[in-house]
Amino acid sequence: MRPAARKAASLGGERVFAWGLLAPCLFFVALFAFYPIARSMFLSLYRIILGLPRLGDPFVGLANYLRLAQDPEAMLALANTCLFVAASTLLELGLGLIIALLMDQAVRGRSLLRAALLIPWAIPTVVTSQMWRFIMSDNYGLLNLALFGGDVAAYRAWLADPFWALAAVILADVWKTSSFAGLIILAGLQTIPAELHEAARIDGAGALRRFIHVTLPALRPALALALLFRTMDAFRVFDLVFVMTQGGPGNATNVLQFYGYQKMFAEGFLGYGAAVAVLVFALVMAVSLVYLVFFRRALFREAA
Amino acid sequence: MNPFRAGLPWIAALLALALCLACGDSSPPAGGAERAGGRIVINFVTWKPNLPEVWQEALAGFHASHPGLAVRRQIGPHSSTAFHDLLTQKLKNRSREVDVFLMDVVWPPEFASAGWALPLDAYFPPRERAAFFPAAMEANTFAGKVYGAPFNIDTGMLFYRRDLLAARKWRPPETWPQLVEQARAVMADEAGAGRYFQGYAGQFKQYEGLVCDMLEFILSAGGRIMDPETGRCLLAEPRALKAVAFVREQLMGRVAPRGSLIYQEPESLALFVQGRALFLRSWPYAWQVSNDPQKSKVAGKVGMAPLPHFPGGQGRAALGGWQMGISAYSRHPEAAWAFIKYVTSRPVQKLFAIKGGRAPTRRDLYEDPEVLAAQPHLAEMGRSFAQAAARPRTPLYPALSRLLQVYFSRALCDPQADLPSLAQSACRQIDELTALSREARP
Repeated sequence: MRPAARKAASLGGERVFAWGLLAPCLFFVALFAFYPIARSMFLSLYRIILGLPRLGDPFVGLANYLRLAQDPEAMLALANTCLFVAASTLLELGLGLIIALLMDQAVRGRSLLRAALLIPWAIPTVVTSQMWRFIMSDNYGLLNLALFGGDVAAYRAWLADPFWALAAVILADVWKTSSFAGLIILAGLQTIPAELHEAARIDGAGALRRFIHVTLPALRPALALALLFRTMDAFRVFDLVFVMTQGGPGNATNVLQFYGYQKMFAEGFLGYGAAVAVLVFALVMAVSLVYLVFFRRALFREAA
Repeated sequence: MNPFRAGLPWIAALLALALCLACGDSSPPAGGAERAGGRIVINFVTWKPNLPEVWQEALAGFHASHPGLAVRRQIGPHSSTAFHDLLTQKLKNRSREVDVFLMDVVWPPEFASAGWALPLDAYFPPRERAAFFPAAMEANTFAGKVYGAPFNIDTGMLFYRRDLLAARKWRPPETWPQLVEQARAVMADEAGAGRYFQGYAGQFKQYEGLVCDMLEFILSAGGRIMDPETGRCLLAEPRALKAVAFVREQLMGRVAPRGSLIYQEPESLALFVQGRALFLRSWPYAWQVSNDPQKSKVAGKVGMAPLPHFPGGQGRAALGGWQMGISAYSRHPEAAWAFIKYVTSRPVQKLFAIKGGRAPTRRDLYEDPEVLAAQPHLAEMGRSFAQAAARPRTPLYPALSRLLQVYFSRALCDPQADLPSLAQSACRQIDELTALSREARP
């Protein structure tokens, strides 16, 4: 056998081996990711109403999606979701950057500080939500005590106000996940060679200039990654709303995932609920693709 | 040879294991438990009893009087929604492990329409049904057939501070405007004395309780949510609008705290038992809690009355409670009915009333001297049960309820919102639901 042919044969063997190694992972991804997505898309083309089995499960094509476009509740939930995603992601990135810069400082007790900052992220969201619900309470909430002290008559019912209720849900999310964004950004910070700062300092750059011209550009991959993760996660907001407000008052905090859950599990409109789920999937997909196009360089710089 | 290649069989083995785990069914084969010791087993899907001893006594009585039958309880979660999920899952799968089940008061139309609940007309003659509260029987009836027997009953009631009303020589309010008037006067006095005090505590969060509270206001103004015959939405009619406007303009942020918009039962009860509210709209359980010195600062100062009404209207209270039904897939419907008949019988209802304080569903027990001697407050509750009103009946109740919740919550939380147009938009969606469920009529 000629050497080249032998090499090709062994390459083929390598390929089989590689697929063999990937198989378990692919199996589980297919089982737990692709199958549910495909199944949701399939269900969303049918009218399935659990409470009315006599109607059968007729195929309705895109009728569920057409209804969705004309459903005022769904459109409000879409608007709320977008508002939540935009506000929470931007705030989390900003706060995350500050947290990362603080954690990067060589101060005493740094490891303790790092651990403490991660606590909000480690607490289950249901607990976080319940905690913020208590903090915002009109009768015994800490927020009212902090703002108004003993002046009980001035206490406000934050979660009873449509504007503040949505703000409260955003705030709770920011409190919970800023440190996660901070962790990703910190990893980026630590890859910046000290020589770059050194050189800038010798050139006479002050702290602000060094931050803008050295730190920020070098952080772009980490920032892009944090943005991508946080955006994808924010679109799937559910538990905060479920525990804090149940979508109220007056649907002011209803978000798509919660709306889809209600349609599917509480009301038994399986096809329509699946259409809502597919809409969320499509949104996350679209936003991720846009990010990938814009931040391709930043995200894949190492690979290129 | 590549040393890692030796791993291939292992990967294959792991894959095979994963497949087994994914597809395997570890549940034991069912069906063998149909008869236990020669007795027919009645599977009863219920929630964890609040009063285990009373249930023990009742079951022991059943087994003693029905030697051929044995009840096996399957305990589900206490939350109504979670219990609904569990029970409907079993029924969707046509489980043979369900004979008798409990239904929340709004479920019978859904269970009937889905074909899960057996019509009980053959077992439960009209003469028998007349012994129960009419609203409870109405809730168990759908499209002319009866699907459940009432096990216990609940309604909205008005609790008030007897001491504060008595000090002013006032009787509990009979109309909603009177309630507002009394609340304003007492609030002014309490505020003058430097105390934080509210007039009215109710449940106005966007959830099922909001539907109950608002249904009571609308019915007591002579309005309706839906026409019971045609199912047409009547929220945009003047009387229904008037009731909603009254709550928004006279109660919300005035005699009731704006925080009521996020109150469920526990928050409103907390305000009342802390001595911070004159009136409370709640369910009968609030009587025990607010009179328990361990839990309440106003124990012994609480009065109870039927809910007020609007001038010219009639007080109506939202009906709650649990019903007993038989699965359409049960193999022993006669045995199942024997069990339901026993639990809803006069002696067993009396047992639950005297030993457990549970409100019985049979009307004549509210005149029974032994019951009244043991639980004197039941007399007042009986008056409320008699004026109870069932929530709208539709197999799509969860969807209807959510539309109502959104409408009411939006109407109450925004003082500027245009009520008629909100109501019309809610009605358009509700009428669509009605059309859908009519399409599915047999």
